[in-house]
Amino acid sequence: MSTQSSSAAAATGIHVTPATAARRSSRQPTGKQRRETLTAYLFLMPYLIVLGVFTVFATIYVLGLSLFKLDIGFTAPQFVGIQNYQLLFQQLSAPFDSDFWTSMINILKFTVVVVIGETILALLLAVLLQNIPAIKTRGIFRTILYMPAVTSSVAISLIFLWFYNPQGVINYLLSLVHIPGPHWLEDPLFALPALMLLNIWTTTATFMLYFLAALQDLPTELFEAARVDGAGPFQLFTNVTIPLLRPALFLVIALATIGAFQMFDQAKFMTEGGPLNSTLTPLLQIYNTAFRDNHFGLASAMSVLLFILIFVVTIIQRRFIDVNA
Amino acid sequence: MAQAQVRANVRPAVRLAETPPRRPFRWMNVFIYVMLGIFTITSLGPFIFSFFSSFKTFSHILDFPPTLFPQPWTWDNFATILSDPAFLRWILNSFIYAVGAAILNVLFSAMAGYALSRLRFPGKEVVFLLTLAVMMVPIPILVIPKFLIMNSLRLTNTFFALLIPAMAQPFSVFLMVQFMKGLPRELEESAMIDGASYWRIFSQVILPLVKPALTAVAILSFQAAWNDFLWPLLVLDSRDMYTLPLGLYFFERDHYTQYNLLIAGSMFNTIPMLILFFIFQRYFIEGATTGAVKG
Repeated sequence: MSTQSSSAAAATGIHVTPATAARRSSRQPTGKQRRETLTAYLFLMPYLIVLGVFTVFATIYVLGLSLFKLDIGFTAPQFVGIQNYQLLFQQLSAPFDSDFWTSMINILKFTVVVVIGETILALLLAVLLQNIPAIKTRGIFRTILYMPAVTSSVAISLIFLWFYNPQGVINYLLSLVHIPGPHWLEDPLFALPALMLLNIWTTTATFMLYFLAALQDLPTELFEAARVDGAGPFQLFTNVTIPLLRPALFLVIALATIGAFQMFDQAKFMTEGGPLNSTLTPLLQIYNTAFRDNHFGLASAMSVLLFILIFVVTIIQRRFIDVNA
Repeated sequence: MAQAQVRANVRPAVRLAETPPRRPFRWMNVFIYVMLGIFTITSLGPFIFSFFSSFKTFSHILDFPPTLFPQPWTWDNFATILSDPAFLRWILNSFIYAVGAAILNVLFSAMAGYALSRLRFPGKEVVFLLTLAVMMVPIPILVIPKFLIMNSLRLTNTFFALLIPAMAQPFSVFLMVQFMKGLPRELEESAMIDGASYWRIFSQVILPLVKPALTAVAILSFQAAWNDFLWPLLVLDSRDMYTLPLGLYFFERDHYTQYNLLIAGSMFNTIPMLILFFIFQRYFIEGATTGAVKG
């Protein structure tokens, strides 16, 4: 097929001067180019459908929905303008009485602790792995340390429900050092820290891999030069490694922040946002508003605000951490 | 060049300094392995402890102090779970979702990756830039519109609702483009001269060369679907359609204090994934770090 059409193009090419042929190919596509374009879009079709419907259209749709009052199955959608946003911002005068703003405060605390915790821990683990001389041993430890990131949040939540039981293994370990363990998930003071700890445990390993990949790409000459200048291991780390790792550091902090802001599974599975809304997260509140209270418009407005918050935080992080920005 | 010169000049100095730092270096090694030992326990410990505990009886699951090995051992937890036909159905549903998502994603992302990396056509840059941009958008924020789209298509509570949004992920497409764009162009040109169609070039020349990428995409999509909780929670509403994570959520509500059953139930979700991980760990790690390379 393709030989036929290309030889046909060649055959027609004989009759025109080179100049006109060049002009022709730059102005209007030849048969071959047209076929290539058509083929490309046929190959792209399934992906473009998913991308178009579930991301591009969905993004526009959620912006539109946030301007409507919408309950499924009861009344027709009603255009309300920015009323959903107004309602949310009015609640800001008493944020602790509002479920949405409570969830926002919770997620800010959660994100700060989790991002700092997992970035430091991931970097520590990566440096430890990097310093194992034998490649094979390094691989074994890397596999072991990556295991928490492989398994599902639901299975891990089940296991940690049991760990966090007042009589569970965590309180047993605390009792060994004579600390009376709290009722982790039933205590408003300890439920959110319990979820922070669990989240750090499950997500650190992925970022460890990012740091490890970045560490392996660092130019060794610089380290040798610094060592020659008399830098100790600690100085090498703070003055050479950390500055060189800035792009990776930004990537990890940004991805960790984006991930932490979307915390849902553990809050839904382990605590349902309780006790006393202490583990209510924005995504859980969006879920409750839409699927429990049937206010899809209001839930969309919440989604948009959450998106803006994540976006702004990422931009700020980029300005402060990434040198290339 | 300059650096090499510097190094050459200072070489004697290095040699002199080499003997003293040896000792602290050894202490560093001890420190490294002690730390790794601690982190090995914290990473591996919960799995080992819960695996053995899934054979404990109800009256021993919360023993204080806890024991690692069950006394007595019992298969009752697994027998109770497997006697529930719904539980078997959830495992099957999860397999359908995970295998389906893996197959579709491999096929469609490879096709899209082929077009974006090997073909020339107007609009190519737009599609690729859109792919990069979309990878940064937090997907769970789009759950409301995605659900409403599925609902108006009357597809909720079917496998279509699970599989259609999962069948071609931007991240997989990106991974495919990264792998395919490095292949030499002569491959296709000679096949083209032999009269091969685009589809034949794609399926018989390009695909066999990117098998590692195909495996990585298959595994990552399988993992994402197998572990998925949020999307099934939204679009599935009859008990016989639940996937395993969703089933476990309701199972947890029914057996609130029976940790022996809950732990045994979680094993059905954890063990298949861990087995897969041990077989294909290279691909897991390669897939996970492609994101890092991008940054």
